[in-house]
Amino acid sequence: MKLASDRALWIFAAAALALPIIADGNKFLAFVLGMTYISLLWATGMNLMYGFVGLMPLMFAGVAGIAGYAVVHLTREFGWSFWLAMPVATVMAALAGVALGLPSLRLKGFYFTLCSLVIQTVLTLAFIFFPTYTNGDTGINQIAPPDWFGGQLKGLGLELMIALFTVVGILLCAWIVRSPLGQRFVAIREDDILAEAIGIRVVRCKIIAFFIVSLYAGVGGCFYSVYIGFVSPRAFDVLVSMNIWLFVAFGGRGTIAGPIIGTAILAPIPFLLQELQAFKDILSGVLIIVVTLLMPGGIYGAWLARRRRTQKAMTDSARVQESRV
Amino acid sequence: MTDAQILILMSTLSTGLILGAIFALVAAGVTIVYGCVWLPNASNGQFFLLASLAAWTFTASFGWTSLAAAAGVLILGTALSYLLEWILIRRLYDTPNRNVAYFVVTLGLTQIMTGIFSLTYAKWSDQFTLPPVIEGITMFGPFPMPNNRLLVMGVSLLVLVLLFVLLRYHPYGRALRAVFQNREAAALRGVNVRAIYRLSFVLGSVIIFLGGILFALAYSYDLTVAWTMSITAFAIMIIGGPGSVIGAVVVGMTFGFTQAIVSIFASPTAATFSYLGAMLLILLFRPSGLFKR
Repeated sequence: MKLASDRALWIFAAAALALPIIADGNKFLAFVLGMTYISLLWATGMNLMYGFVGLMPLMFAGVAGIAGYAVVHLTREFGWSFWLAMPVATVMAALAGVALGLPSLRLKGFYFTLCSLVIQTVLTLAFIFFPTYTNGDTGINQIAPPDWFGGQLKGLGLELMIALFTVVGILLCAWIVRSPLGQRFVAIREDDILAEAIGIRVVRCKIIAFFIVSLYAGVGGCFYSVYIGFVSPRAFDVLVSMNIWLFVAFGGRGTIAGPIIGTAILAPIPFLLQELQAFKDILSGVLIIVVTLLMPGGIYGAWLARRRRTQKAMTDSARVQESRV
Repeated sequence: MTDAQILILMSTLSTGLILGAIFALVAAGVTIVYGCVWLPNASNGQFFLLASLAAWTFTASFGWTSLAAAAGVLILGTALSYLLEWILIRRLYDTPNRNVAYFVVTLGLTQIMTGIFSLTYAKWSDQFTLPPVIEGITMFGPFPMPNNRLLVMGVSLLVLVLLFVLLRYHPYGRALRAVFQNREAAALRGVNVRAIYRLSFVLGSVIIFLGGILFALAYSYDLTVAWTMSITAFAIMIIGGPGSVIGAVVVGMTFGFTQAIVSIFASPTAATFSYLGAMLLILLFRPSGLFKR
């Protein structure tokens, strides 16, 4: 069983790395694919927090925004290489994420979610009202692609790099989830008081989770800004957090495959709706409600539950036949 | 005091009273629903805006008077609340930890309504104004106060008082408060808990709609008011104590005056920042809020 899911994971990794090469002929398709990969990286991070630790961090996009703006600032004003600026910006964002999230870790459920929403709002306002770093509501455009041995990394090369980071992110998430740390996360999700009672340091685990998740947000934010070449407060507002959350919840929280399925289905939609961005808001609003009311396990969760039922039914009928014989 | 100082004082006072009363109303609507149903209505700002925009449509497109429009919006709003309760809200009554689920559902509602508004009203106009219900100006010393705003202030304060009386003395209000305090015990004493849930959701929503209409009557507004109202109402609810109507009124009034005073020196965004900061502090150090429910 475990071997099978491992094999599926490696097949997925190979396919994910091969897809940009196949899609390279069509510029539009390649771009949608690149954006989907960035969303997938974000969704994987969100899933680690929402699916495994059981907290809903709505400031996710804000943390990504810190990294996105920081990487632009470091490469433009200080002339740093992107490959030096990215880790620095990511760690900065992660530290900021932990610092912002630290006080809220005592809170649970709704109060944590509300607190993270407030932090996200403060971050969005900060992006708008500190134009020295962010150029306010206008945003920063014409961000240069990452440098690459004297030249620039763009087009297929950049897409492959994003795909690589996304695949590594997913494999890393799968590894964390199976590690003792991941088991502690699940214990906290199921019952944090019980987890505390059996000796798990809940707050420390949550801080570690926060840090890891903010790293995912940060790397995604860095690649977002250089891939699109334009950042504005809109790119990192609460709707983006909700969207990433929807990818995870729609696909299936707490599984590795769930966010992949959810992102693959939902992330390309806004690009197909080009002129009709408002419809995207309505659609994702409807999906959020449908997922919450009708399929809390998401698509993959529903499929797993169904498979379990049919398997159980099969073994039952087999047992009946045996007893007849 | 010179005339100029009196003018500033009076205008701050009147703005503070009107804004405070409307904030208090909306926050009371949100807090009643949260205290009773455990539903944190994140889309309260959109409800608020929906009422103001509907009133604008009735007056500008259908040529109704503001009073008729207000009545129409309230009737439609009541119907809409019942419909919403029937389609969405009642499905989660028995879910454990339903406040998170409700929060997410209402965030989804917010997105839907935002999308609809930006497809429609955003294209039609960027400032919306309702004609006044009554004309004329009353002078308070050197300070001219439009009668229309006096009316809005009076009505909002009157509704707050009525809400208090309803919750304190009417059998419905008593049942509502019983469910606030302990739903199992209330159910054992023969209170129909689901009916009370429905009633308080509708009551809370209608109060929010009313707040929207009153705001539209007093001021001209644009679509961003929804977002500001959502944040403000949540901040008031959290600071005042979720489920506490007194808390909502006291903190709402305080916020109204804060906004009026801050607007003299700085942009209203500074006020929003301070609400967010205050809400964070309360969340971190005293999640139950300043007032007991």
